[in-house]
Amino acid sequence: MNFDAVHDIQRAYRKVVESMSRPGLISDLTVEADKADGQWGGLPVTWVLALMLLDTEVTFCICSQREAELTGLLNQLTFAKRTEPEKADYIFVLHDAGEGDLLKALQGAKVGTLADPHASATVIVESGELSEDFELSLKGPGIEDESFVRIPLTPGWLEARAEKNAEYPLGIDMLVVDKNNKLLCLPRTSRIEEREVLLWDM
Amino acid sequence: MQINYNFAFFDEGSKREIRRATLKAIAIPGYQVPFASREMPIARGWGTGGLQLTLSLVGRDDIVKVIDQGSDESVNAVSIKKLVQNTTDIRTTDETAQATLIQSRHRIPEIPLRAGQILVLQVPMPEPLRMYEPREAETKKLHAEKEYSGAWLMLFEQIMNYGSMTTGADHPVMVHDRYVMAPSPIPKFDNAKLNASEALILLGAGREKKIYAVPPYTKVVSLDFEDYPFETESFEDRSCRLCGSTGVFMDELYDDVSGTAYFQCNDTSYCLERMNEQSWREGAESR
Ligand SMILES: [Zn+2]
Repeated sequence: MNFDAVHDIQRAYRKVVESMSRPGLISDLTVEADKADGQWGGLPVTWVLALMLLDTEVTFCICSQREAELTGLLNQLTFAKRTEPEKADYIFVLHDAGEGDLLKALQGAKVGTLADPHASATVIVESGELSEDFELSLKGPGIEDESFVRIPLTPGWLEARAEKNAEYPLGIDMLVVDKNNKLLCLPRTSRIEEREVLLWDM
Repeated sequence: MQINYNFAFFDEGSKREIRRATLKAIAIPGYQVPFASREMPIARGWGTGGLQLTLSLVGRDDIVKVIDQGSDESVNAVSIKKLVQNTTDIRTTDETAQATLIQSRHRIPEIPLRAGQILVLQVPMPEPLRMYEPREAETKKLHAEKEYSGAWLMLFEQIMNYGSMTTGADHPVMVHDRYVMAPSPIPKFDNAKLNASEALILLGAGREKKIYAVPPYTKVVSLDFEDYPFETESFEDRSCRLCGSTGVFMDELYDDVSGTAYFQCNDTSYCLERMNEQSWREGAESR
């Protein structure tokens, strides 16, 4: 079946809204991602997000081993312009990105200004498999008490993100996806703590 | 009727822009995100911010409810519902519990909202500081600096002048301990429903081109003073003449013939459901 630029995007968008409203909630975008271009270079679900968010009004950049090629592709697809990571509205960190790329992207991303905190970067990251395992604890708006997730990403990303979001309302928002078409969102308001692994848990 | 519009009226570019702003709004609770508001084919004065949010959200699986000041049947509610229906062909409902998308002006429904529902509130005047600061650049600066002494002073002056806070509706709230926000002209009675809501609440102002949000489980506190605590409209000892409900927001009406006042639920679909329940129960008992 062909990807429907109206209805598939709408359905996917509502899942993003749901996950952004409830940090830690893992949405399943399989129905939409299955119709995406699976060969584009990143994960299919990332392709869906790119179509949902990008157009001539915004800028983006990509961290990937095939950066130049995929940048051209997304530009053709959405007409959004590539820019430096420090200026980009949307930063895509693909699964084949280099070792330190995620940390560099988080550290360099724009956080907005006090007058315009929305003029900040949204970072879309392709992660290892997402799950609701008790590894990270999330608290903040959208979460009744506490929610738990496992997000396998480069060590150090939590610190880099926390540093970036230290002066709320300045900060970055993250959309994290995996190869199973799962998505979770980490708005800047979410406080994340690594759950201490106690001896009797093992 | 022949549908010549795009699905949900807008072209995809317009939706994309509203969607990007909406996601930012959810990420920064209570902060007014600017967006490029569109012209809409509905009566002016009703405002179009809510409708634009609804159209950017709605899909084939949605069931939409539209209420205006508590009524599903008002001219405004009906014309909005028609526009949504004509451009999407989806189902609409009056029953709050059935709806996935609820667009409302001036009320939050009496039936508690739940996860999976989105409430869209229509906002005529999104800037809570506008009463004492007419310049947008200045109010933006005040929000940036979290400089809200003017907002408190405004409330305090009302107390000094009138002995109580006179904000009938649209009483300002503090969201997530950061932004003072206009909750739209809902009665003070509804302010409590904003706090730790189970449903996502989105607010849209068309003329002022702003979108803002209260995510679920977000702390929302009505501004008040220790000596003059926030008080909602009181309907103590009042019950609805039609369904007998207590503890809901009521309209006071006058019976011209007898010259006496009586009360009635403002949320008409809630009132109807209550009456239907009662007649069903009575029917079951007599069977
Ligand atoms: Zn009633």
